[in-house]
Amino acid sequence: MSSVTQPSQLLSSILQPLDPEERVTILDLGAALPETLAFYSEFRVKLYFADLFVDLPLTVAEEGPGYREQFAALLQLPADVRFDVCLFWDLFNFLDDAAIRALLEVLQPHLHPGTRVHAFGARNRKLRAGGERYGICARDTLSVRYRTQALPGYRPLPQSTLQDLMTDFQFDRSVLLADGRLELLMHFRG
Amino acid sequence: MIGTSIYIKGTVTGEEDLVIQGKVDGTIDLGDFEVSVGESGKVTADITARVVRIDGEVAGDVTGSEKVVIAKSGRVRGNIIAPRVTLEDGAIFKGSIDMDPGDTRQGLAPVRTEKAGATPASNPAKNPEMDLKSG
Repeated sequence: MSSVTQPSQLLSSILQPLDPEERVTILDLGAALPETLAFYSEFRVKLYFADLFVDLPLTVAEEGPGYREQFAALLQLPADVRFDVCLFWDLFNFLDDAAIRALLEVLQPHLHPGTRVHAFGARNRKLRAGGERYGICARDTLSVRYRTQALPGYRPLPQSTLQDLMTDFQFDRSVLLADGRLELLMHFRG
Repeated sequence: MIGTSIYIKGTVTGEEDLVIQGKVDGTIDLGDFEVSVGESGKVTADITARVVRIDGEVAGDVTGSEKVVIAKSGRVRGNIIAPRVTLEDGAIFKGSIDMDPGDTRQGLAPVRTEKAGATPASNPAKNPEMDLKSG
């Protein structure tokens, strides 16, 4: 698995340093990577890692559990946890509309007004397959590890589609990357 | 050392370092000592020690008063509490990690709603700030 680094204009907004006494709770829906942990080791944080990419593709069988039940079982979040930051990476590009809505419904009790959200969308639906593993090297730098095999169920989502699905979130900023991905910064409105 | 053919169900305590190559279900409390779960080790237990190193499989909460290391062959599902946590390349982890380096001079804090909501007035929900990046 090869890896590169990628500058990010939005990461620093999510990881903005404020009060040194403040403890921050972060949900990362990607893989726990060494560089990410090394980066956070400087801070007072509680990290939740739930790599949903390993469970793709998510489907609903006729008599099986629905998306909500599946996400609740995969995430297993304590009832009282509230996230200050949620890192979705490009997970939305691998879920259908119903799955995205279900995931957000499961997460909403664990968000608070102002929870910051990072995700990747796409400029258009023709963007090449994604699904890389992302880590954090520095406040303004991501690590990108390319998978040897493409993940199933890829359907790149333009920002307009995501905005229609994420009605409880404010889209604050987006950055169009050279490869056609959109880096998105949002927050939960509550 | 708990060898590969040993299966322990219950509570493991002691006042020396411990290497686990076998299977343990229950609780492991080594206080100020070190626990190593070897590559063949399979632990379904909460672990408390000064240093915990995991090369095998652990399902349970891990508390290290000094540090916790998940090695490249390690697979952990549970919650980790330690001032320092190291993940080696290839390690698999699912759960929470509570880190407090103690002497940190920086911190991260949640956004304040009124700041994050600052967007163009015309139709803020549909007009977020857009940057074009050439790199």
